[in-house]
Formats: sequence, structure tokens, C-alpha cells
Amino acid sequence: MIFVEQLTKRFADLRHDGGFVALDGVSFDVQPGEIFGLLGPNGAGKTTCLRILSTVFRPTSGTALVAGYDVVTQPTEVRARIGFMSNNTGIYDRMTAYEMVQYFGRLYGIPEATLEQRIDHLFDQLQMRDIRDTLGSKMSTGMKQKVSIARTIVHDPPVLIFDEPTSGLDVLVARKVVDEIRGLRDQGKCIIYSTHIMREVEKLCHRIAIIYKGRILAIGSVAELQERYGQPDMESLFFELIDRHDEAVLSAK
Amino acid sequence: MNWRNVFLIFRREVLDQVRDRRTLFMILILPVLLYPAMGVGIVPLIQFAEQPRTLVILGADALPEPALIDGNHFATEWFRDPADQKKIVVVSDAAPVTTSTEAAAEKHRKLLETAQSFREPLERQVVLEAQAVEAERSGDQRAMASLRLQRKELSASMSEAFATSGMHVLVVVPSDFSRNIHQLQDTASQRQFSSLTADYPRPIILRNSADEKSAMAAIRVQKVLASWEHAILKHLLRDVGLPEALPSPVHPTEVDLAADNELAANVWSKLFPALLMMMALTGAFYPAIDLGAGEKERGTMETLLICPATRTEIVIGKFFTVMLFSMATALLNLSSAGLSGKYMLSLTGGGAGGLSRLGDLSLPPLTSLVWVLVLLVPLSALFSALCLALATFAKSSKEGQYYLTPLLMLTLGLTMFCLSPAVEMQPFYSILPVMGPALLLKGLLLSNHQTGVLFVYVAPVLMSSLGYSFLALWWAIDQFGSEEVLFREAERFDLRLWLQHLLRDKEPTPSFSEAAFAFIFIMMLQFLSLKVLQAPLQAASAVERPLVMMQVLIIQQLVIIATPPLLMGVMLTTSVRQTFRLHMPRLSDLVAVMILPLALHPLTLEFSASLHWFFPPLPPSVGEAMAAMSSDHLPLWLVLLTFALAPAVCEELAFRGFILSGFRHTGRDRLAIILSGIAFGVMHLIPQQVLNAALLGILLGWIAVRTRSLWPGIAFHFLYNGLEVCRNRFGKLFDVTGGWQLLFRNEGGLRYQPLLLVLCAVLTVILLLILSRRRPVVSDTAEPPLSPLHASPSMLMQR
Repeated sequence: MIFVEQLTKRFADLRHDGGFVALDGVSFDVQPGEIFGLLGPNGAGKTTCLRILSTVFRPTSGTALVAGYDVVTQPTEVRARIGFMSNNTGIYDRMTAYEMVQYFGRLYGIPEATLEQRIDHLFDQLQMRDIRDTLGSKMSTGMKQKVSIARTIVHDPPVLIFDEPTSGLDVLVARKVVDEIRGLRDQGKCIIYSTHIMREVEKLCHRIAIIYKGRILAIGSVAELQERYGQPDMESLFFELIDRHDEAVLSAK
Repeated sequence: MNWRNVFLIFRREVLDQVRDRRTLFMILILPVLLYPAMGVGIVPLIQFAEQPRTLVILGADALPEPALIDGNHFATEWFRDPADQKKIVVVSDAAPVTTSTEAAAEKHRKLLETAQSFREPLERQVVLEAQAVEAERSGDQRAMASLRLQRKELSASMSEAFATSGMHVLVVVPSDFSRNIHQLQDTASQRQFSSLTADYPRPIILRNSADEKSAMAAIRVQKVLASWEHAILKHLLRDVGLPEALPSPVHPTEVDLAADNELAANVWSKLFPALLMMMALTGAFYPAIDLGAGEKERGTMETLLICPATRTEIVIGKFFTVMLFSMATALLNLSSAGLSGKYMLSLTGGGAGGLSRLGDLSLPPLTSLVWVLVLLVPLSALFSALCLALATFAKSSKEGQYYLTPLLMLTLGLTMFCLSPAVEMQPFYSILPVMGPALLLKGLLLSNHQTGVLFVYVAPVLMSSLGYSFLALWWAIDQFGSEEVLFREAERFDLRLWLQHLLRDKEPTPSFSEAAFAFIFIMMLQFLSLKVLQAPLQAASAVERPLVMMQVLIIQQLVIIATPPLLMGVMLTTSVRQTFRLHMPRLSDLVAVMILPLALHPLTLEFSASLHWFFPPLPPSVGEAMAAMSSDHLPLWLVLLTFALAPAVCEELAFRGFILSGFRHTGRDRLAIILSGIAFGVMHLIPQQVLNAALLGILLGWIAVRTRSLWPGIAFHFLYNGLEVCRNRFGKLFDVTGGWQLLFRNEGGLRYQPLLLVLCAVLTVILLLILSRRRPVVSDTAEPPLSPLHASPSMLMQR
């Protein structure tokens, strides 16, 4: 469903000769019904990678296929088949929850009758009947997050991309979000999920990639990785990998 | 493009704006309230605007019949408009004093007392004046100087006292004035014309024309005195038995053709275009900021970018939203201003009241208003697209606001230029942005009899305005397609880091911004050097002028056009050779390019000649340069050096070298060639040359890219300019007779016949085909490898 090979993204930056490399030859793939975790600290390249997958950024080099379509040459097809949510995807202040979801549903070209049923269903499922006519500016963070999720899945996309969806949320809301994502996995969606919170990864993801300074340091299931690197838990695994990488870079210089 | 998406986006954005109270207030409510409020403020101001001024008359008893004064004012009969009577309060020493209160009487007395103190210096001033006239007649320079000094001193001594005196005008009537007038009348009526003398002391009027109140009052007093004098004269004539009309044998009858609505048009033709421009711009600006930078700020931009609508659809949806608000704002402002004006007019009665001094304010005819609507569409479109592009570029709303001022200043400047009475619609102006619509609107609102002529311009104005709008929209879409723009970091500008980057991270060819800077720098230098270069030219004598002009032109080429790009090329790039394309071209290319000027020169010459009507007249300095080109007094080599070799080398280095290389960094060759061509045209400053040079610049840019070398361009440029020099210099010597007449003609210099032009066109096409034929892939480093950082933004556009 998602296939990424040797993806590189470079940004113009005065501080770095030849630009800042945000993503450096990243490769992985994600299957339907699977949650693939991207685990890494801030600035590791998670957001850049997911923005490329959602066609917002163009890769400098490498290929990325989403649901069989190339993100560079067939961006419209890709966008029609993904749901993307991050803490950057805000909701409109001067629109009600219903209008917001309806607006995006229409942009996805869902027929009106189907859309109405779909929104009804979503509002029930996400328990947002009571905020149906609330304006975005009047919503709490939790409410906004619900609207965002509804917006992300209104067109029932086969591929879902979550970029740190729980960052900045309180425990209760974060838990709700994680539960929703798990539910989506059970529906057979192909999900890619980035975070810097280790517990979420342990609970949620089938496989993870640990990403640091634009590179993937390791890929595998949590158990596999712990075994491979002889670490008792996620956290020590993470730091072990990062330390190894930094040492390798230092000795290479 | 999916119009359903465009409509969905448009509807959402409009709804969003309508729900925003701030925008709604600024754009819709404010104009509706503003003009009536201004009207409410202005009406009382105008009604009480003119305070009565004080006139003191000394020696009022000596005024002859008919009565000039009636109580505290001039008599009503001396005014054309009786309302003006109360605007001058007359304080005279004629008994009795008719004031109601004690305080007023006291004030009255004081005024007269002060006035008396002016009597003596005034009379002295009159004597001095008479002496000065005498001195001037006899040519006594020394006496004149001394008298001038004395008068100046006397005036200075009076002026301060006069300013604080409380009176605005003082009239001193000589004590025997009435007697003298009577005597004159008696003598005349007895028909003893030989003993008629009018050599008696006259009244003196004292005023201070540097003080506006005094000056205005003095004008009123003089008008009253004039009509009073006329009455005395009529009386005199009647006594003598002559017709009363004798003193005014000409007295023409005035017929004013302007109908009321045309007078109105006069006011509106100035106000409407200015208001329309300003409001269409501000009306576009605030929604654009909200839709562009605002969306980034609120974090909904990414949400929108991942929806299936393409970026083009998003921009067009937003564009229509902005345009709707721009048009609504402009129309609301105009109708509010117009209706308030009309209402205020009805308040003041429309007659001689205060407002009529501003001009007639009734609304222009309906047909003119329809034109306002028609022209508003392209204007709003242009402003909306421009604002949207700027707003997309801006990182935050605050940054967006900064872009308003320059945009507004530019628009207002152009509009004000168009509104000055001397500027009239003209073919060239009609295709300029903002100016075309402004001039057309001014003309159409002005009056009806010229409009027939103006209709010719409607199509060009509308088409060019829409063209500019499309360009601006294209720019906005392009901005929206660029991830650097959409995800611009709020970076802190670090001068040291930037300089370091400039000098350290050099690439083989300059960047786009370096090339743009080089161009702007050249233009700035041109502007700054205008005075410096003109100075030697003005100092030179007529004989030397042509030679000095040659020198100045060569220096200008070397210093202003060639040096900046050369220096920048050496400092900012790693490959001077590649930047300036100093590779050897293929011989066949070089030959083809060298034949091209022969074919193109006649074509371009006749092309510009055929567009002669289109442009405003040439400035005189160009005529002088042309004359120098054809003058036999200068050696040919110098003229060729000035007009052919220097421009060929310097301009090619700058425009096809540095600037084109920089523009090509975008990865869009066609755009780079067109931009460098336009830059080359603009550098020529004179409209006629701008068009011609821009077209040739595009051709030269194309040649430079095709042949991968600067040399063919230099050769072309030299030959092309050289041909023009030779045509000017030797063309007149060429005797067009016999068979030559098929190809040439003599018409203010050597010109070309259609047959020759057809041959030239055929040759041009052949040569261009030769140049554009497929060529083997060159693996040398002539073409700059595009760094991935500068990946083509145009490809992003389609997303």
C-alpha cells in the first residue's frame, strides 16, 4: 500500500553547504491492516517524510508510491486515497464541525446522499453529536481533534497518515485518538504513524522504523528489535541506536 | 480543472469572510457609514466657513453719491449676490455710530483710532510711490534703490501693526474726495472738456496679501468699489448726454455650454477613478491577507493542501473570493460617496451655497456608471491576483500588511498622474496596467462628446487589463505551487551568515536573485547618473555637443551596464566562462546569426515605424542622438564605437551573460529568455525602444541559449546597430532610382519597400530554422547542472 525507496529531501539553508538534508535515503513499506510507526526525536525527518507521502512536499530524489500511485506524477490520485492528520492540520475557526467535515467530503467528490449518511455515522462513532453546530473557534482541543479525525476519514481512504496526532493533547484525549486509530487498523486500513512517544509505539504499532537525523536506523517489530539489539525495552533500544549512530558519524570524520 | 472544487472553495471562503466581523466591518459597513458621517461633519463646516471680515473706512464723509455704505455694511446694490453683503463688516468714521452694545462701541472706537495711526505712513507711502515712478522714468538708479529701501522699511513697520489691528482692509478716503468728484461732474456736464482734470488725490486701500483673510476681503472690497465706481461713471455719462454703455465697448456675452450633469461629471471624473482604484485595492487586500497568510497562520493551510483539489483550483477559488470583496468594496464606497454627496447637495439647496464651490455634486449619468462597473472587473481582477500572490508569499498577516503600503503608493501615484488634466488617453497608455482603466474612466465620466473617440480604447484597455490579471493570477498560482513559499520558516536574517553563503557557496552561474539584483542595480545607476552624465553635455558648446555625447554614451555603457555584472560575475560565481557564455560557438551558427541582422533590420525598422502612432512623442534628447548618428562631422569609427560596438559588448555581457544565466537558474528556459528580454527592453526607458528592444532581447536570449555562446549575440548586436548607423549616415546619399525603387524608398531617410520586407521575412524564417534545428547533445559543462534545490516550480504547479 505504501512503498518508499531511497527517499531524500533537501532544503535550501544558508547554514548548511548545499542545503539541509532533512531526509536521507529512506526506504520502507507498509501493508494493509498494519500500523507502521515512525519513531524519532523532533527534527528527525518524520514530518518531512509524511509530507512527501501526502504530496505536500516533492522529494529531491527517490520514489514513493501510495496505494499504487506515484506521489510526484499522480498527486491527485494519491490525495484522493489518503487521510492525513497532524497537529499542523488545523480546522477552520469560522466553520461548524458539520460544515467542516461536509466541506472536505464534498471536495473528495462524495455524492451528497452518501456523504450525509457517512457524516451521520462518523458523528455517532466519534460521539460528536453535541458539537455538530459548534464553531471551530469555540471548540476545546479534544473536540477539534475529533473533527480532525472525522475530516481525515470522511472519504474512507485505504491509507491513513498520522503525524504526531497526540502531541500536545492531554492523556484522556490522546487515549481516545489512539483507540480510534486502533479501530481503523481493525478495518484493514494501511496506517503510518509518527511519534516520539515510545509507549504509543509499543502499544499500537506492528512494525516501527527508528528515524534519526534523516536516516532510518532500524526497522522491525518491537520484539524483533529488542531482541536484535539486546535491549530490554523501547527506551533503551532507542538511545542505544542513537548513540551508535552518533559514534559512527564521529569516527567517520 | 474541476470547477466544482473551485466553486466549493469559493463558497467556503466567502462564507468564512462573511462570518468574520472585522472583515465585514472594514469592507462593507465602514464605507456605508463613513461618507454620511463625513457629510454630517462637513455641512456645518462649510456653512459657517466664511467669517465676516472687517473693513475700516477713514474719511467716509468724503464719499460722494450714490451711497456706498449702509450702516455697518456696504449697501446691498453693490453686490451681485446679496448674501455676500454680510461677509464684510464696515467700520467707518462717519457719524453716527450705530452699534448696539457698549463693548461693541468701544471696539469700534478703538479700531478707528488704530486706523488713524496708519493714515500718516500710508500717505507717505503714496508719496514715495509717486517719487519711485518719477525716478524710474528718469532712470535714476540710485534714487530708485534708495526709494525701494524706504518703501520696504515703511511697509515692514506697518505690517506688524496691521496684523494685530483687528481689521482686514483699510480704506483711506482723501478729505476733499467728494468735492473733487462733484467738480468733475460739474465740469463735464457743462461740456468744458478742455478744463477736465482727473488729477486729484485718490482713496488708498491697505491690505496684506500674504494674509489670506486680508487678501480675500480686499478682493471683495475692490469688487464693491468697482461696481460703485461704475455707477458714478454712468451718472457722469448721463449728465453729459452720452450712452451709458460707452465705457464698455466690448463687453462680450458669455455662453456656457456645460450642462449641469457635465459639471457633475467633472467632479466625479476626478473622484471616481481615484476612489475606485483605492477601494478596489484595499477591498482586495484584507481578504487576500486572510486567505493567504492568515490560513498559514491558523494552521489550516496544510489541511487544504492535502485535499483532492489541485493548487490551481484552490488559488482560483480564493481569487474569486477576493475579487468579489474587492468589487463589493469599491461599489459600496462609490455609491455611498455618491449618494452622500447628492444628499448633502440637496441639504444646502444646491444654489449658491457653500457646497457648490466644490463643483456640482449631482451624480453622473447612468451610462457612465455602467462603465465604472465594466472597468471595475479587470481592475479588481488585477488587484485581487496581485494581493493573493503577495499574501501567499507572506509568512504571517503582519508581514502581509507590510506589502500594502508600496502597492497602494504605486497605484495611487499612477492614478494621480492620470487625473492631472494634461494627461489624456493615448494608445500607449491604454495598454498599461492601472493607467489604461484610470484614463478611460476619467474620459468617459468627463463629458459626452469625447466618448466617441474613447470607445476605440475600450477593447485594448479591457484586453490588456485582463492580460495583466491573468499574469498576476499565474504568479499567484506559481507562488502557491512553491513549497518554499508555503512552508517558509520565519527565519532570522543574519547578515554575516548571508554574506558567508554568498561568497562561500558559489555556484558556476549566478542565482535568480543575483541576476535580478544586477538588473535593478543597473536601473538604479542609470537613474542616479542622469544628472552626472547630463552635466558635461550641458556645459559643452553646440559644436562640441555631439562629440561629448558620444563620450558620455560610451562611458555609460562601460560603467553602468557592463561593470556591475562583470564584478558580480567574478565575485559571486565559480565560472566566469560559464556565466558569460564565453565558449566558441559552432561556425554554422555564427554565420547564420551574422546574416540574421541583414534580414531583421528592415523588418524591425518598418515595424517600429508602423507603430509610430502608438507611442507618445520622442523626447528631444533621442532626436539629438539620432542626429549625431547621421552627422558627417564625426568620424565613422567613433559613431560605430558608440552606437554599435560598445552596446554590443556591454549589453550582451550584462543581459545575455549575467542576467540570463541567473534567470535560467529557475530551470525554466523560456521564462528566463522572456524575462531577460523584458529587462533588456525596460533598460532602454523610452517606450518606443522598450518594445523593439524587448523583442530583440528575447531573440538574442534565445540565440544565446541555442548556441550556448555569447559571441553570436555580440556579433548580431554589433551588426544590427551598425546597420542602423550606416542607414542614418549613408542612406540619404543612396540615390533610389530605377530598379532599386522596388526595394527601397526615400522618406525622411532610407526606407524599405514591401517586396524587400517579404524577402527579409523569408530569410529570417530560414535562418531561425537553421538555428533551431536539432543539434547533437553537447556533453560539455556549458549547461549549468541544475541543483536539486532549484527544482522547477512549474512542475509543482500541477499538483
